[in-house]
Amino acid sequence: MEEFLAQLPQQLVNGLTLGSVYALIALGYSMVYGILQLLNFAHGDVYMIGAFIGFLVMSVLAPDSGALLLPAALVVMLMFVVAMLGCGLLGIGIEWFAYRPLRNAPRIAPLISALGMSILLQNAVQLTLTAGFRVYRTDKLIPLAAGIDIGSVHLSAVRGLVIASAILMMIGLTYLVRRTKLGKAMRAVAIDREAAAMMGVDVNQVIMFTFFIGSALAGAAGVLTGLVFTRVWHTMGFNAGLKGFTAAVAGGIGNIPGAMLGGMLLGLIEAFAVGFISPTFKESITFFVLVIFLLIRPRGLLGARILQKV
Amino acid sequence: MLYRSKRLASPMSLLIVFGLILTACQPAAAPAPATEAPSGPVEIKIAFFSPLTGGAAFLGTEQLAFARLAVEDFNKGMVPYHATLVEEDTDITPDKAVPVAERTAADETILGVVGPAGSGQVEATAEIFETAGLAHVSPSATRPSLATAGNKTFFRVVPNDDVQGPTDANYIADEIGAKNVYVLDDQESYGTNLADTVDKVLKQKGVTTTRASVTQADTDFSSLVTTIKGSGAELVFFAGQIPSQGALLAKQLKEQGVDIPVFGGDGFFSSKEYIDDAGGATEGSYASVFFQDIRGIAEAADVAKAADAAFPTWGNFGPPTYAATIVVLEAAVRAHKAGNLSRAGVLAEVAKTDVKILGVPFKFDQNGEVIGATFYISQVKDSKFVQVFP
Repeated sequence: MEEFLAQLPQQLVNGLTLGSVYALIALGYSMVYGILQLLNFAHGDVYMIGAFIGFLVMSVLAPDSGALLLPAALVVMLMFVVAMLGCGLLGIGIEWFAYRPLRNAPRIAPLISALGMSILLQNAVQLTLTAGFRVYRTDKLIPLAAGIDIGSVHLSAVRGLVIASAILMMIGLTYLVRRTKLGKAMRAVAIDREAAAMMGVDVNQVIMFTFFIGSALAGAAGVLTGLVFTRVWHTMGFNAGLKGFTAAVAGGIGNIPGAMLGGMLLGLIEAFAVGFISPTFKESITFFVLVIFLLIRPRGLLGARILQKV
Repeated sequence: MLYRSKRLASPMSLLIVFGLILTACQPAAAPAPATEAPSGPVEIKIAFFSPLTGGAAFLGTEQLAFARLAVEDFNKGMVPYHATLVEEDTDITPDKAVPVAERTAADETILGVVGPAGSGQVEATAEIFETAGLAHVSPSATRPSLATAGNKTFFRVVPNDDVQGPTDANYIADEIGAKNVYVLDDQESYGTNLADTVDKVLKQKGVTTTRASVTQADTDFSSLVTTIKGSGAELVFFAGQIPSQGALLAKQLKEQGVDIPVFGGDGFFSSKEYIDDAGGATEGSYASVFFQDIRGIAEAADVAKAADAAFPTWGNFGPPTYAATIVVLEAAVRAHKAGNLSRAGVLAEVAKTDVKILGVPFKFDQNGEVIGATFYISQVKDSKFVQVFP
């Protein structure tokens, strides 16, 4: 018990870091599902591409040999901006290629298209950049030991950055959805696409924006993953996408605060499973808990009850 | 359907074109096909299996460079004979190795194989090779069960983990003097066996051990690090095959202020990924390897010089591959001289190998194990591997 309490605060930090990344990925899934009722399986690979874009920016601005070409804070900012923009545009491109032509097709068609897109992205990266692991040299931008100690907890600077930026982005997204006209349009399209169109909402544009924002968040998640967990490789999107999707479902698919909550919860469960049960069975325990949870509450934490119209 | 085809034409056809362009543009990193040899001299064609891509690509590319060097040296020095190397990429996963092995076995002109590199891959392909009668000499697979499985075509030029495990464990218990060790494996064939062996020997020496597993796909060890911190371990033994994972663990240990070294097996012995990419986190950590640094051997000076010219950095994985390649090629020469240049002939001669390559003697026992080899332990000092044992 004592050991449990001693490790608890640090495991909380670990879990929140993981959870922040999962939450950002889950948001993309939830947003797209809310608007299109489509599970964008290529989302995990957009995250992977974000991580690679960040890596490429970093290797240009912080080369292996020698000094940084720009101050560290600026390099990090640029990594985020370029990755988010790049992924946002990629998201729009994916929507245009793979999903728009199938907008009125039976639901299975865009699903298969999404899977195909995922495979395409993974292999495109493997062909051009090879299947090796790339390592972010975060230590060049933020020293390894930098951080603050709160009691027994060491909150490293990188983790603080991950958690803080994720929270900031989630606040930004919530503001966008609740207080802006675009957000209102997004919510309208999510509730009833036809009615929204009849009210003068440009549905295609709204969908485009949704994909842009969702993919940009995934891109940011990719850069954050690179910064804190350092290793990026072409199939990393699979696992993270799976976890992000699970988090979105656990929080209530289509529900934005639900995705955030689901992501954080998933991260915490995973950290606790490793810390207090067994690192060997981390994945099994995490998914087992989620399966049990969904059996008890299939609509997820904040999901709306599906009304059966008679 | 018809009315939609016009709308579909634009993005769909672009997608098709894009896909075609992608398949047409294969970068140079793809494995090169076998080069055509001039007619006249005696042709010896062997296959080379290693992870040219993937998490262990650092190993594969070094092995490939030395295999090519061996073929070049052989072709220069043994003029009537001409060797060709068929380079195959197997990644570090067993399932990639199987189709490649089947393709090699079906090619009647291939007389022997250098590789596969990983223990999991040898396990997956051993039966294919045995049925085809192809001798396969591995320069890096160290799982002991590979030799005791009764396969008559398996050989290795490096000692196995029954040597690596006790060597490492004894060093940890006696030289480093750790009393509490966390033993990790990556749930693959090589790692689990090595970690079990080390765990057993450490326990016998009275060291407290905690045993756990991670996977090769794991990206975050921070929760594990917190647990390690709580367990009071003085050292983490990580039997993995992907050095960047070892480096990650070291980084995250340092991040949480756990100042203990990581000890890896030969799977972690990569200067770029374990040392350079770790940004100093692995300073003071260890890794063991199955071949000594040939820069200290007089007979190997020429090879070392050629390697320096051809390849930027190399360590201890290349030389055993050089040796394995020469073993197969020399066996083919002896088989030809005995009038039987075929797979069976080569296999028989490999088993009878008794040569000195790079100043080191190579002879196999009846299970295909090389006789008399040891493991070497190095520590990371000043961002370099420095041999500390023997």
